[in-house]
Amino acid sequence: MNERDRQRRRALIAFQIFIYGYLLIQFGIQLSMWATRSW
Amino acid sequence: MKLPSLNRLPGNGKRAPLALDDHIGESRRAQWGADKWLIAGSLLLGTNAAGIFGLPLFLWGLQKLRLASRAGLSVRPIMVTLIGYLVIVDAGLNMQGWILDLMASHTLIYRVLYTAWGNAFDMGYFWHYNQLWIGGASAPGEKSWELALILVVFPMRIAAAIAFLQMRRWGYQWLIVTCWFGVVIWVGYVMNMTVFADLRYTGTVFPVIGWWIYDIVFITPFLAIPYLHTVNRETFSE
Repeated sequence: MNERDRQRRRALIAFQIFIYGYLLIQFGIQLSMWATRSW
Repeated sequence: MKLPSLNRLPGNGKRAPLALDDHIGESRRAQWGADKWLIAGSLLLGTNAAGIFGLPLFLWGLQKLRLASRAGLSVRPIMVTLIGYLVIVDAGLNMQGWILDLMASHTLIYRVLYTAWGNAFDMGYFWHYNQLWIGGASAPGEKSWELALILVVFPMRIAAAIAFLQMRRWGYQWLIVTCWFGVVIWVGYVMNMTVFADLRYTGTVFPVIGWWIYDIVFITPFLAIPYLHTVNRETFSE
């Protein structure tokens, strides 16, 4: 694996952490809203 | 599909060995034999209501492809097949659902189906349904997403996925582009959902969790991005 491939893999891991983290945060916000409201 | 042209005539005018021709012919037949099932399965999967009948056809096509690959035939890689067809089904389902909400929202079947779905998961498809000047869903921002995605993203995505399945380079490149569109869609749409959560979840049968379970299956664009960025692009012909 050359340096470029290694950088690409690192970027893809960072991207996945970002995108799943974002979705998880949104889910968490909605859950916390649900806990405090009478939906 | 653009298979490598291995059966071209060599420089001295003699034909390439017959065995190679046989191999190519058999590979093409096996590929089409599997694709027929995969196409039929995808069409049914894309209909929403008859989707469950499409799954066994799709899996059977996949199995045929796997067996052909195992037998040493030159067929399309399984991962390319899976990503290509699932992108078509995903974009097709979303496009069909939203076109119907936009154009057919006054029909009896969609007044029943969409408000029933809305009552269970998302009140944007229940409260004040059909009371805007266009389409059914009344959720804030929903119509903008519907129009932008129906007109721009989904047709591009389906066209790219078809070329991707034909192993063409432009299909591969445009699938990457539209997968990144998928990221934009999800980041924006989920934010919109959270901002208007009070409107959309109040009174639902399954607040929050129901919507997430239903929608999480459409997350395929994210799963394809790492593969598309690491696969050898030379596999796809110019």
